[in-house]
Amino acid sequence: MRILVVEDDAALREQITEALRGEGYVAESAADGEQGLYMAQEFPIDLAIIDLGLPKLTGIDLIKRLRKGTGGSQGPRNVPVLILTARDGWQSKVEGLEAGADDYLVKPFQTQELLARARALLRRAGGWGSAKLVSGPIALDTTAKMLAVNERPVDLTSYEYRVLEYLLTNAGKVISKSELSEHLYAEDDERDSNVIEVFIRRLRLKIDPENTLNPITTLRGSGYRWDLPRA
Amino acid sequence: MFSLRTRLLLATSATLAFFLAFGGLGLNQAFEASAQQSQLERMQAITYALLGAAEPNEYGELSFANDLLPDTRLGFPQSGLEAALFGSASGLLWGSPSLADNIPTPAPQPVGEWRFEQLPGRFVLLFGISYGSDGGRPRHYTLMLSETSLLYNAQMRAYRRTLFIWLGGAAAALLLLQGAVMRWSLRPLRRLVHQLAEIESGSRERIEGTYPTELHSLTEGLNAMIINERSQQSRYRNALGDLAHSIKTPLAVLHGIAERPLAGDNQKLLSEQVTRMGHIVQHQLKRAATVGSRALVEPTTLRPLVEKITGALSKVYQPRQINFQIDIPAELRIRADAGDLYELLGNLLENACKYGNQQVRIVVRRTQREVTLLIEDDGPGFPEEARHLLERGVRADTRYEGQGLGLGAVKDIVEAYQGRLTLGRSDLGGGQITVQFAA
Repeated sequence: MRILVVEDDAALREQITEALRGEGYVAESAADGEQGLYMAQEFPIDLAIIDLGLPKLTGIDLIKRLRKGTGGSQGPRNVPVLILTARDGWQSKVEGLEAGADDYLVKPFQTQELLARARALLRRAGGWGSAKLVSGPIALDTTAKMLAVNERPVDLTSYEYRVLEYLLTNAGKVISKSELSEHLYAEDDERDSNVIEVFIRRLRLKIDPENTLNPITTLRGSGYRWDLPRA
Repeated sequence: MFSLRTRLLLATSATLAFFLAFGGLGLNQAFEASAQQSQLERMQAITYALLGAAEPNEYGELSFANDLLPDTRLGFPQSGLEAALFGSASGLLWGSPSLADNIPTPAPQPVGEWRFEQLPGRFVLLFGISYGSDGGRPRHYTLMLSETSLLYNAQMRAYRRTLFIWLGGAAAALLLLQGAVMRWSLRPLRRLVHQLAEIESGSRERIEGTYPTELHSLTEGLNAMIINERSQQSRYRNALGDLAHSIKTPLAVLHGIAERPLAGDNQKLLSEQVTRMGHIVQHQLKRAATVGSRALVEPTTLRPLVEKITGALSKVYQPRQINFQIDIPAELRIRADAGDLYELLGNLLENACKYGNQQVRIVVRRTQREVTLLIEDDGPGFPEEARHLLERGVRADTRYEGQGLGLGAVKDIVEAYQGRLTLGRSDLGGGQITVQFAA
């Protein structure tokens, strides 16, 4: 999952991106509203965390333009937005949410709270209600980052977890290899589509060693799809 | 900018000057017309008397005997009263002994008609007569009577002097009266200014005493402003005091931590204390920023504000599909700062969403004297510590564990409006919070 952080305070920006990376997300960051808008429109992000008091373009205006689109190739974008507000003024919260944000967090906040909100919004965007993504006998706890198949815990590497989380969050949708790598790797990482194939193979082995469930379908030339029904 | 006194004085003086000038002019005109009329009547009487003394002379022309003249002044030169008779063709036929030399011949006057003129220094009256004798053809004459206007002028001067003395006196009296009226009318304002100066210097608490009805809303507004200013000041002062006081404890704990190596429990403690200090600072800042009740604050229409908040909250709590029941009359307005209302209702409604299941109800009613807000949910209801928080004298920041409820901020806002906050049970099954304050 790729998350954009737009925050003008360098220390806080660093703290948030580090926490996100620590959780296995790909974190991008922008220091002002204009740069933030550009990145939110150009990058394949899954969530934007936006401070309301930004230089050049305020957070509210950024969200409005993002939702409305700025014309040309930049149509409206529906990516979930979490706003950070320094003043815990309800008026600015309401304004932000009216502009198109999905949730808010009041500064100062605890990192765990931020991560929980981010997870919830990502889940919501995929149509999931709870922190536990359950599909057939498979249960992925996104808070504890634990996978259980038939209530038996399964160990996953960090990258395997990220691939599984992305597929499961978007269950039922066709996800191309390039989309997977765009959302899972940072810009400067080596992107090799073979690696994705390797991860998928290993995931299949770990989740379904007897080959009875077939949770991930390979669609030749277009990508993968999680095919077990959501609980 | 002219002072009120100057404005009133200027306006009154201008009006007064206008009316006196016109009044004076009118009176003068009227008197002059009447004086001229009596002058004419007197001269006509002399003319008739003169005509009575007329008789034909030896040539058959009309003439007057000097010893029969009706006014003795006619018999003396330079007496000021002169008479002369002119024939229609022959010029001066007869002149009284008082007649000056070189009298110009007037144009013949039609028979039976008068002509009265005021010339420089004298009045002239001409009368056309026809006189026939011996059964012959009647002859036409013009009789001229001339009287000096010295007396008339002196009379007019005396009249004007009297008129000006009386009018001037009346104007002065009116101005004095106006000044007194103004002094009397402006006295409440002077008293108000004086009291304000005393309030400023600290020797007076508020504006007191009875004021004219026109000034009631002003004095009430000023008093409300003064009270609010004071409570705002004391809020700032208390917030600062409380801040300093309540941050001491966590600082002491931090001080202790600093003396030991940072690991395990200490790290947790450090994080806890920093969080606590953050809460304290936030709480006190918010408390100081609350606007509070003000007589002059613009009333806020409540319903759109509540709809905005519930709209925002339904977005945040979208997975729960919360059903908001809003029962607020559309035109209901509250004399409270919109920012304060956002804080108050934002916190209360968020609590209801957070702790309720799916039902949140907000009912607002207004009577003549009071506004009542009811916020209800279908959750588990308020915990005991929430009740404790609302007890009098409990400072919201002393139990920062309860901060999550946002009730501290709510309590401070309600107190700033001298309102009441009560917790109860809702028929929806969960908590019910009632806020009441003066309308």
